[in-house]
Amino acid sequence: MSEEQSVTNNKSIDGVQYKELMNAGLTWLQTNQESVNALNVFPVPDGDTGTNMVLTLQAAYNEISNSSEKSVGALAEKLAHGALMGARGNSGVILSQIWRGFSKGLEKCETISGKCLVEGLKQARDTAYKGVVRPVEGTILTVCKDMAIAAENSLNDTEDPYQILRIITDAAQVSVEYTPELLDVLKEAGVVDAGGKGLMHIFEGMVRFIDGEPLDIEPVHVQPLSVIGQQEALNSAEPGQDYEVIVDFQPDQPLVLENYYEDLEKIGTSIQVGEGDGIYRMHIHVPTEKRYEPIDYTMTLGTITKVHIENLMIQVDSPTGAQPEEPLKLAKVGPDDLGVVTISPGSGFSRIFASLGAAAIVEGGQTMNPSTQEILAAFEDLPTDKIIILPNNKNIMMAAKSAAEVSVKQVEVIPSVTVPQGLAAMLRLIPGQEITDVAKDMNSAINDIESGEITTAVRDVEIDGIDVKEGEIISLHNGKLVGSNKSLEDGCLIFLEKAKAEDLELITMFHGENISREAAEKMTEFIQEKYPDQEVELQYGGQPHYQFIFSIE
Amino acid sequence: MSTAIVTDSTSDIPSDLREELSIFQIPVDLTLEDKTYLDGFDLSRNDFYTRLPTLKKLPTTAAPSSGRFQRLYEQIFDEGYTNIISIHAASALSGIYNAARLASLEFEQIIKVIDSEQLSLGLGFQAIQAAKMVQQKLPLNEILNAIQSVKTKVHVFALLDTFEYIHRSGRVSWAKARLGSLLNIKPIVELKNGQVYNRGLARARSKGIQFLGETIRKLGTLEYLSVMHTNALETGKRFIEEFSPLEIPEPLLVNVTTIIGTHVGPNGIGFAAVVK
Repeated sequence: MSEEQSVTNNKSIDGVQYKELMNAGLTWLQTNQESVNALNVFPVPDGDTGTNMVLTLQAAYNEISNSSEKSVGALAEKLAHGALMGARGNSGVILSQIWRGFSKGLEKCETISGKCLVEGLKQARDTAYKGVVRPVEGTILTVCKDMAIAAENSLNDTEDPYQILRIITDAAQVSVEYTPELLDVLKEAGVVDAGGKGLMHIFEGMVRFIDGEPLDIEPVHVQPLSVIGQQEALNSAEPGQDYEVIVDFQPDQPLVLENYYEDLEKIGTSIQVGEGDGIYRMHIHVPTEKRYEPIDYTMTLGTITKVHIENLMIQVDSPTGAQPEEPLKLAKVGPDDLGVVTISPGSGFSRIFASLGAAAIVEGGQTMNPSTQEILAAFEDLPTDKIIILPNNKNIMMAAKSAAEVSVKQVEVIPSVTVPQGLAAMLRLIPGQEITDVAKDMNSAINDIESGEITTAVRDVEIDGIDVKEGEIISLHNGKLVGSNKSLEDGCLIFLEKAKAEDLELITMFHGENISREAAEKMTEFIQEKYPDQEVELQYGGQPHYQFIFSIE
Repeated sequence: MSTAIVTDSTSDIPSDLREELSIFQIPVDLTLEDKTYLDGFDLSRNDFYTRLPTLKKLPTTAAPSSGRFQRLYEQIFDEGYTNIISIHAASALSGIYNAARLASLEFEQIIKVIDSEQLSLGLGFQAIQAAKMVQQKLPLNEILNAIQSVKTKVHVFALLDTFEYIHRSGRVSWAKARLGSLLNIKPIVELKNGQVYNRGLARARSKGIQFLGETIRKLGTLEYLSVMHTNALETGKRFIEEFSPLEIPEPLLVNVTTIIGTHVGPNGIGFAAVVK
């Protein structure tokens, strides 16, 4: 822009216009409130960032909306006072400091010239940084700072405050997008900073007002990529919409979300679209015959990177309740962490161990004892030197001990001889504790639990004075045979009696792969009736041969 | 020369004790299904915890504005106090401390704003100790030292009935990793230096409670003790019967502020103990 132009464009913002702009900023922030709330992942803020910023700015605006004051400097001061009184949450407090600084910069301004606006933003930045005990970059503070810098630089080209508003809004947008590079929690969650985005929306609203664009249109909801998952989809499966389709893609052209949603709505329901790092994720439920349509359609818009199709009805009806397609989520360990390696006799147990923080799982149990080599291989590559092994079976103890001896790592083998003992030990894995302390805790935990196994005898035998006939249901209490019965009910009851379940609190039943979910649920109900004072919980263990494994505590 | 003690409603100091010790308290905001309540004023705790599990959206909490702090400080000075000690919820967990700090900058009089690095009675005992010393007319620096001392000697533990609420609150990073747990597990947490630490996991409630009781025993002789619960009065009473040390046969028993309860969920139990 030439010097001549900048002089002719030398406008200013008067009191009336200032109020209109602030109102526009507030309205646009309100319109975007929920999408700002959805970004709320930073572990410290009070409540929802979008809501808190709206309430703060609303309180601020109320101070000037009916004021007859003409001077912008006086109005800005009133607004700052309102923000201070109405500030809610961390983001609201910082926003109030921004307006406070802004008003200091405008103190002597009857109207806002370009220079006044720049001074206001500089003061806003300085006051905002002072308003926080430990300023963190990658937050609203950074966005405010980048806006102030852009404003200062813009004075070389223009003194038109309207023009400067555009420049700083653009700068805010760039700054918001960059926040994940500065703050790891944002990057991990795949979102931008909520407070920074809220601040950007306020100024964006002003620019939209200047351009005559609408301020109250609900923007299409874009969620952070990470929040779109299968878990929610499972809960919301509707009849007739049998398939869940998730497509990750990179659009060739900037995606017009309104159109995209509109087209998807013709295909299915439960539509969600998320964005992170330039990748979009689309989630939809569709009837069986339309299961490929969302993919074909999305392919016309860009490059598809990943597709996930799942039959929701099978998930819902699954006899085991297990979701076989989903890979195990093992704990990621670093060099300073403890790695727990556990032997698991079934896919259900594997999932439970993984959910409790196991770093490696070796499948094996009664009839399939893993070798020393297999156990060793499971943990040799873990990036830590501190390993705990839970064998969870008498017959695997030796192999586990050999693996410990062969390894150069520091390995503790916990003498857990049942899976419930292994689970009890697993609960003592507390991050940040010494391996010897954890091992000590685990050793005491395994003695604090009653284990039971219910299975069908494969031949006639007499053990511990109990006469067992082939095909009968036999019950083991802490590895010792305690009964042989005709029915599964009696097999469970005899164990519960021997284990003195009536004196304890929680009965957990893990059903095996040889019994249906339905039958297992019936048995759970039966036992709950017999033990009304205890909490009875059913889980899928997935072990072979054993109808039930019991854990009582 | 007189000092006023100010705290916030997360301190859980029972109102009769607060009055007896002339402690000023600022309420924190709680938003429940789009309606904002002042903590402890217009929503009973019983009511809150009964409704909590049925809410689709978790309630949210917000620090009082620095403007409200400013107004309170003005009132206190108008009443003739010459300085203020303002002790608040851990700054790492809440913006209350910062709002108070910002307000204090507007005054020329001495306002010592202190980050308790604690919540509930972990914070409350710091304020109580300070208020007792004010009543004894002890000098300001001695009171400030005593607050520091309580801060280092206070131990706060709790057994949560579920991971759900602490996870949903998003304030505790390790709770995130545990969400995927397929078993119902109850976390045991310690609040220390403004951080929430995981100190154990229990499946049976009785075992978790046993763990808390043993933790108290290991602490040694106590100066103060309070048992806190989130709508689990009976559990609290039984806990006191079983685990109160000889020197404190009747500890405080409080239903924890809704502000903390939002992040803990119903049926939690815990204690704050200050070692002698």
